[in-house]
Order: sequence, then C-alpha cells, then structure tokens
Amino acid sequence: MSKIDWIVLGLTLLTIITYGLYKSRTTKDLDGYFLSNRSMPWYLVLLSIMGTQASAITFLSAPGQAFTDGMRFVQYYFGLPLAMVVLCITFVPRFSKLRVFTAYEFLETRFDLKTRVFTSFLFLLQRGLSTGISIYAPSIILSSLLGWNIVLTNIIMGGLLIIYTVSGGAKAVAYTQQLQFVIIFVGMFLAGYMIVHQLPEGVGFIDALKVSGATGKLNVITTGYKNGSFDWNDRYNIFSGVIGGFFLALSYFGTDQSQVGRYLTAKNNTQSKLGLLMNGIVKVPMQFFILLIGALLFTFYQFKPSPVFHNRAVEEKAYTTPYKDSLQYIRQQYDALNLTQNNLSLAFVNEGHQTAAVENDQIKENLQAGDIKMQKLRVDYKETIKKALPLADSNDTNYIFLRFVIDFLPVGLIGLLIAIIFLASWGSIAAALNSLASCTMIDFHQRFSKPPVNESAVFVSEREYRISKWYTFGWGIFSIFIAQFANRMGSLIEAVNVLGSLFYGVILGIFLVAFYVKRIGGRAVFWSAVVSEIAVVTLFLLNQYEIIGLSFLWLNVVGALLVVMIAWFLQLFHPTRVSVS
Amino acid sequence: MNKGSDDIPLFKKWSQWYVLVIMVLVILIIFFAWFTKYFS
Repeated sequence: MSKIDWIVLGLTLLTIITYGLYKSRTTKDLDGYFLSNRSMPWYLVLLSIMGTQASAITFLSAPGQAFTDGMRFVQYYFGLPLAMVVLCITFVPRFSKLRVFTAYEFLETRFDLKTRVFTSFLFLLQRGLSTGISIYAPSIILSSLLGWNIVLTNIIMGGLLIIYTVSGGAKAVAYTQQLQFVIIFVGMFLAGYMIVHQLPEGVGFIDALKVSGATGKLNVITTGYKNGSFDWNDRYNIFSGVIGGFFLALSYFGTDQSQVGRYLTAKNNTQSKLGLLMNGIVKVPMQFFILLIGALLFTFYQFKPSPVFHNRAVEEKAYTTPYKDSLQYIRQQYDALNLTQNNLSLAFVNEGHQTAAVENDQIKENLQAGDIKMQKLRVDYKETIKKALPLADSNDTNYIFLRFVIDFLPVGLIGLLIAIIFLASWGSIAAALNSLASCTMIDFHQRFSKPPVNESAVFVSEREYRISKWYTFGWGIFSIFIAQFANRMGSLIEAVNVLGSLFYGVILGIFLVAFYVKRIGGRAVFWSAVVSEIAVVTLFLLNQYEIIGLSFLWLNVVGALLVVMIAWFLQLFHPTRVSVS
Repeated sequence: MNKGSDDIPLFKKWSQWYVLVIMVLVILIIFFAWFTKYFS
C-alpha cells in the first residue's frame, strides 16, 4: 500500500473512533449505556440494524459469490421483509410492553428464571465465539493479501472499536454505525463505478450487463427445478429464499440480542417498527447492488487478464511445492482461454450494437462454452492447490473483490476500501460486544447479585454502569483471544454458520412456544430445550464422524421443531401451571 | 423504547405499512424476474 492509502486508512479509522467518543455522552445508568435512554429515531435504528447485520464478510463475500455463482444469492433475503412484518406484529409490542433490556428477560415473565438463564447462556456462548471468528475472517484476508501480521491485524480489527464501545455503549455504537454506513456506501459505489470506467472503450454499463447475463451471472431469480423436479440440494432459489430466509431472519432479528438490542433503543414503539419495516424495504435492493458489483467484476475480467486463483499468497506458496508444473500447465490453458474470451466478449458487444441477432447468438454460445471450460480449469487449479497445501484455504471467493481493489483501483481509493473492511467489521462487532455485555449484566449479574440494603438506588445504578463497561471490555478481549485460535476452524464463514445452527434453532423454538403456544409452561419448555440442544449437538457430532449425513443448515429447523414438539408432549403428560404475562 | 402514543406516519393503520412492505417485495421479485429474462 502507498503512503496515501495508509493516510486515508488511518484518517478514516481515527474519524470513526473520535466520532464514537464524541457521541459517547449518555446518562450514567444501564438505560443510557445499553439502550441510549430509548431515544433513537427510526433512521438510526434502521442504520444500526443494517450495520449490525452487514459485517466485513458481507462486503467481501457477496461480490465474490456473484462472480462465481451469479446473483441468485439475493433470493436468500426474500424472507426478510416478511419476517420484519411478523416481528412488528408479535415481538416488538411484547418487548415494548414489558420494557425489557434483553429479549431473554421476556422469557422469565412468560416462563421462568431457568428458561431465561438457559437461553441467555446459549446466546452468550454462540455470540461470544462467533464474534471471535468475525474478527479473524476479514483479518486473515487482509493479512494474506497485504502481508500484514495476523496477530496485529486481529488486535486492530477487534481492539480499536473497544475504545468507543466501552466508553459510549449503545449510543456510540448506533452513531458510529450511521457514519460507517455512509462511508461504506460511498466506497462501494466508487468501486462499482471504477469497474465500469475501466472497461474497454465503447463498452458501457448496459453492455457489461449483457456480457454478464450471457454467461449466466444475472440469474437473480431461479426456481430450483431441474429436469422437471425440485432439487432439494439447490441452496439458493425463490422457494428456499422466501421460506428458509423467513425463518432465518425471524430467529436472527427476533431472538438474537445483538439485533434486539438495536431496536430496543428506539424512542417508542412507532420508531422501532418503522426502523424494522424500512429494513424490510431497503435490504433486498442493497444486497442486489452489492451482488451487481460482483457480476460487473466478472464482466471486467471478460475483457482483461483474469487470475485463475485470487488468493495470491496461497498460490505463490503452492508454486514452491512439487505441484508447480501441474499448476503452471493449468494456468497456461486458462490464460489462452481467457484471451479467447476477451476477444469473444468484444465481438459480442460490437455485434450487439449492430443488432445482428443470429451472429450474436453464435458468439453468445461460444462465450458460454468458453466460460464453462474456464470454470472447470479453475476447479482443477483449486484441487491441485489443495493437494499441494492440504491445510491452506483453497476457496478464494472472499479474495476476488479485494484482489481487484489492490490490483486495479487508484491510490487513495485502495486505502478507503481497506478502511471499509474495518468499518463493516466494527459495526457488527461493536453491536455484538454491547449485546454480550447487556446479557451478562441484565440476565446474570443484576438478576443474581443482591446489593446491600442501605445502598441508594443512584449508587447501585452508577456501579452497575461502571461494571457494564468492564463486561464490554472483557468480551472484547475474549473475542480477540478467540480470533487468535480461529485459524484451526477451517472455512470461517461455515464455522460461523455451524455455530449459529447449533443454537439458533433451539432459541427460536423457545420463543415460538412463548409467543404462539400459550398453554405450555416453563418446566416443559426448559426441559424440552435442554433435550433438544443435546439432540442437536449429537446430530452434529454424528455428522462430523460421518455416521449420518445431515447438512448443518437443517439443524436450525430440527432444533426449533424439537423444542415445540417435546414441550407440547411434556405439557400434555405433566401439566404445570402456566404463568400469564 | 417507550410505549408512547402509536402515531403511525404516512398511513392510518400499521396493516397498511405491512401491505406496503409486502408489495415492495412483490414488485422487486417481478423486476428481478424481468431482469433475469432480459439479460439471459
């Protein structure tokens, strides 16, 4: 990186920290620290919700996803608007009525203390570990591409945000997320513009889309039907997007304190609902535009020399092994095909301008055939790298966008885009730390500690405020510690998803019973949740040891359904008095 | 979050907001379907 890039990166990060500290002033009590005195307008709630959900991996992985698999990933978000509506009807009014600090507080009112503590514990376990991975995931990409020290990158990625998160709590988190989002979108827009700007002369935005479309990258809507029957293994299609995406969004936004804590900061019920509903309106178009950058990037490499493998550090390492000749052979074939594709793409665009439909169809077919061959060579290349370096990550999807940034963007913009990776991480990590601290304080510390009888309420409140800051700091250090060991977890995105799937299903099941099955009481749901969690972990381990074959994504569904069914049976055979909230 | 008065902006009922969100989703899906077909 050049000096200018370092200055841009440093200044951007410094601006966020200073702004976070400037906006840190809140009342010195838990309401101020964890809920911004419930004073946020809807647009800050919206930006906070979006900033919490969109991590660095969102901005690195989504363009790479569109580059390799097309834009159909956007369908994964189709269930989100529906989940926002259900949240506004069911979850928000109840949380609002009880004026809770955490989602799990509600469970004590509805069921009992042990169910609340158990659910909050599951959240702390899952969120604490996954925040560590969220720090490591972008750090390893940056350290690999820029040759930075991974330990130091982890500390900067997870450490600097602790300054304003500890100091200002939820208010600092929300205000910095607002500024972070503006910077992120300016940067992403500039990156998209630069891709189109660097296309050959005479090739415009629409031409770029036509080339992307011709090679199947603009497959936004897919049905999942193959040869007349539905393919259950197809992960992203309109049906799995609407149904699966709905349950995923409902459990994430309704039961994960890192999200619940954002909309609890709203001024009132109306602002909270508006924030969520606006999220339902803007989330899908936002993901569409991020994916479009990936599709345009694919077109960009249809006119320019394209790397076979985008993680340069791993590739260079593989070339020092005996597999060097095999890799070189595949690369030569790939480069030759890439050149043919470059010429075909230009011819496709030029013929398109002259509207010679028949000839253009022929070019399109050749373009598609060439792309299939190139994809096959990329697979062969990755498999060879895996053989050469069995422990290295042979999946380069997350490196595609950043490799373009480093290779093709002008000085200054590289620094801004690297800063964006930090800011996107900080947005979600800061919210996670705030929610981890709020659960530790509200669901455990405050619930189980008994302050001396002669202490004044103001004194107790200020002491809890100070201790909450230490909890935030402690969780920050814990996450960085986990990040240092995350390199042993294999594919990182998958590790986060697997961790989530182990706990999300059971937590969602508990909340579903709480909201929709009024006749089930605390004892039934608690033991049902314990048994279900053991069952989910057992299924996961059986799959790990290849005794059964079950994708981790199904653990969400299994966990939620098991909780509801077992609780139903327990209540049926051992009826207990149901508390009414 | 204060319970506060539920003064709904733009519409008279929240249900109208919910319909708007679902309508936007439907329009987006129709646009995406057209987009996929047009550029394929």
